[in-house]
Amino acid sequence: MFCLSEMEEDALKEFFNMGLGMAAASLSQMVNNEVMLSLPQLKVVPYEEATKMLVANEEERLVAIRQNFTGELTGTALLIFPGAESLELVRTLLNEQMPLEVLMELEQETLQDVGNVVLNAFLESFTQMMSIQFEFEAAEFLKGSSHFLLDISSHLAAQKQALTADSSEDNERAFVLMMDFKTHDEEETQHTLGGFVVLLFSQYSMEILKRELKVILATL
Amino acid sequence: MDKKSVLIVDDSSLARMMVRKIFATRFTEWTLIEAKDGEEALSLSDGSLHLALLDFNMPGMNGIELAEKLMVKHPSLAVYLVTANIQERMHQRAESMGIGFIKKPIAESKIADILQQVA
Repeated sequence: MFCLSEMEEDALKEFFNMGLGMAAASLSQMVNNEVMLSLPQLKVVPYEEATKMLVANEEERLVAIRQNFTGELTGTALLIFPGAESLELVRTLLNEQMPLEVLMELEQETLQDVGNVVLNAFLESFTQMMSIQFEFEAAEFLKGSSHFLLDISSHLAAQKQALTADSSEDNERAFVLMMDFKTHDEEETQHTLGGFVVLLFSQYSMEILKRELKVILATL
Repeated sequence: MDKKSVLIVDDSSLARMMVRKIFATRFTEWTLIEAKDGEEALSLSDGSLHLALLDFNMPGMNGIELAEKLMVKHPSLAVYLVTANIQERMHQRAESMGIGFIKKPIAESKIADILQQVA
């Protein structure tokens, strides 16, 4: 079974930390507010467990921006908000009081823009020390349960590139890197927002990532 | 001449190794003190200290909270936050305390600039 050494796990968490640090700085500019980050969690877990990491209530509806990436490293980055939070984020970004129906109309387009900026900053920083080449696909807007959002087989199926190297075992385990974040408003003039960034890799990609980590660690 | 001391605090072993490698190859006149969190850093910082390079997002106290405590113990200490997460408000707060920033991943040239200022 796939596993990472303590040092490889530490390195991956640090890359994730750097990636989300850049993403948080971008989000902070967009919402004109400080964005606080949790410490990264990294797990290789069955999907059921991964969904429990995301939310206590499995029935909760979530909104996500998905950024698939393909190439040497294939996987999915998700920026996830609880459903109610996403409308608050749209309201904050547009900086206006708007009727709910107008906000809902603008939700998808606005969050796709946010996702593009945040997830690109994240992925570019996450991989800047690696020699891995990959391409981003267009960001997509998704709504669904945590179970749906963390089902990597649905993400892989949505990708343009055929994933012949992946086996059916990939459907059983996900490589999950997760950090949660929330805005911090000292003056309490705005609603605070919270969400998650999740990276999912297939097992085949996890092996490539492990190989890359070994190369980086050997230079230190 | 006595060696100068730099305190490196980061919960990531990789991040500490990267800084250690830079000092071990380019700035060998510096003595390194490494800690994985704020509490350990405070327990190791009783002696003479000239420079502190602190991660921001760590378990326990964050980099700014640690900087506040270190600057009380060592009023002339040069302190830098080493982070990829440079946000405007954090920048303002750190700047008002006289704390500098280094963007992760840390570059050798940036360390060289800082050491010139500290020397």
